[in-house]
Amino acid sequence: MSGAFIVFFALLAVAFAALVLTQRQPMRAALALIGLMVSLAGIYACLGAHVVAVFQVLIYVGAVMVFMVYTIMLLDERDRSYRQPFSRLGVPALLVAQLVAAAFWSLLGDLPATSPAAAAAIDLFSFKAFSLAFMKQYWLHFELATVLLLVGILAAWTALREGRDG
Amino acid sequence: MIQDLVIYLLYMGYAIGFMLGLATLFTWVERKQSAVMADRIGANRCYIRLPFTDVKLVAWGLFHGIADGAKMLLKENFTPLTHDRFCYNLAPWLAAAPVLLVFCVVPFGGTLTPGNLLPPLHDFFGDRSYAMQVARLDAGILIVLSLSGIGILGTMLAGWSSNNKFSLMGAARAASQMISYEVSMGLALISLVVTYGTLDLNEMVRWQSGLLFGALPAWGLFTQPLAFMLFLTAAIAENKRVPFDLPECESELVAGYFTEYTAMKMGLFMLSEFIEIVVISALLVTLFLGGYNLPYLTDSGFVFPGGARWALPHLAVVLLQAGTFLGKVFLAGCFMIQIRWSLPRFRYDQLMDFGWKFLLPLATLNLVATACVQWFTLKG
Repeated sequence: MSGAFIVFFALLAVAFAALVLTQRQPMRAALALIGLMVSLAGIYACLGAHVVAVFQVLIYVGAVMVFMVYTIMLLDERDRSYRQPFSRLGVPALLVAQLVAAAFWSLLGDLPATSPAAAAAIDLFSFKAFSLAFMKQYWLHFELATVLLLVGILAAWTALREGRDG
Repeated sequence: MIQDLVIYLLYMGYAIGFMLGLATLFTWVERKQSAVMADRIGANRCYIRLPFTDVKLVAWGLFHGIADGAKMLLKENFTPLTHDRFCYNLAPWLAAAPVLLVFCVVPFGGTLTPGNLLPPLHDFFGDRSYAMQVARLDAGILIVLSLSGIGILGTMLAGWSSNNKFSLMGAARAASQMISYEVSMGLALISLVVTYGTLDLNEMVRWQSGLLFGALPAWGLFTQPLAFMLFLTAAIAENKRVPFDLPECESELVAGYFTEYTAMKMGLFMLSEFIEIVVISALLVTLFLGGYNLPYLTDSGFVFPGGARWALPHLAVVLLQAGTFLGKVFLAGCFMIQIRWSLPRFRYDQLMDFGWKFLLPLATLNLVATACVQWFTLKG
């Protein structure tokens, strides 16, 4: 039953990913990206990793994409540069995409194809186990990420002050 | 399997009926309460005439909600010369659907054992029991926060795709306001999570079913009074209602981000605003006011502090708990509408200052204090 849902969300995710690439209009591409993230969250939820599913929506849709849509909303619509069919970086981007795909393909061969590991992984993703592991094993990584965020805030603040003076 | 399906379909029907019914009732409350506060008569024009008689049922203007609905469904649907028809049509749904979805994690009653309700049901249901909640997820409160993020998208999309300066202004204001107040709301909720030690809303309600000092119900209102005030304020700001109605202030921006919407599309925005009142009241009741708990009511009946007991059948307990929840949500919603008619609107810089320089430090302080208290009580 959940396998059918996974296939459904996977197809949906692929369709939305194709739309992100083919839509010219920035807002529609952003909407397709939101659709892609929600379908990925659906896949995670079907796999029982509710933590990852919730954070996928909370962080990527609720924070990242909201800011992206906010920016696109304030873009000047008379700027037609996005109507150009191809960017100059189109060919290099395609090459890098091939490399990424090849990397994933080679990685796929190394993964163990047994299910017991996956079944054990699901228990790790209950909220209690996740929070305990997060605070006991990964607290240093978490603190480092907060330092990085603090630097980002300071940088934004400085840039804003510079802009105000000039 | 089929029993689960029956129960969950019933729950979903109840949840949708609960939200839509109370939302319609709140449109009436908003009119009538404002009339009472302004010493007017208020909504009294709609009536249903009994067939073949001259008896008109006015019912204190309760039928105005039905008249509103009929009007919005039958009106002509004007559409502006928008540059993106798809986004224009998508926006009302994107604003309304997440609000409806939030309710799925809110428990609207205690534990239901259908077999014990009535003797004939026992053959079908056996000893199965269900928590009265559409989706029992341990992510609870995080799902509420993540869905409210999607709601912001609908607002922004509506303002942007209307191709109108008022709408765009309204959308920009709505988005910045909702993002700003979501931060303090999240922090207030985290201090609650620290106190209750769980993310699951049902567990939170169960935590609140105990007693403080032997007599006072252990509601979040008494254990986290500051978080209650912060959540209430941030929730009204999230709902974009007076005194935080800058995104749609009619004296400046016509109707803000939904200026260009007519008929039922505008109706969806209106309805989602009123459903949001219901959902926010439901969250407020669940998190701070003991949810479906009536003081001294347990699953077997009333147990009073003095030791007196009054046993009740399962059906009565279930009905009492669901009714308590309904009544509390109604009163909390009326209180929010009361705020609307009591306070003047903020200026925009005051709104931002209030959110970032007053609410956020207070929420942080509350969280730090809660964590300290929790740390020392855990150690000691």
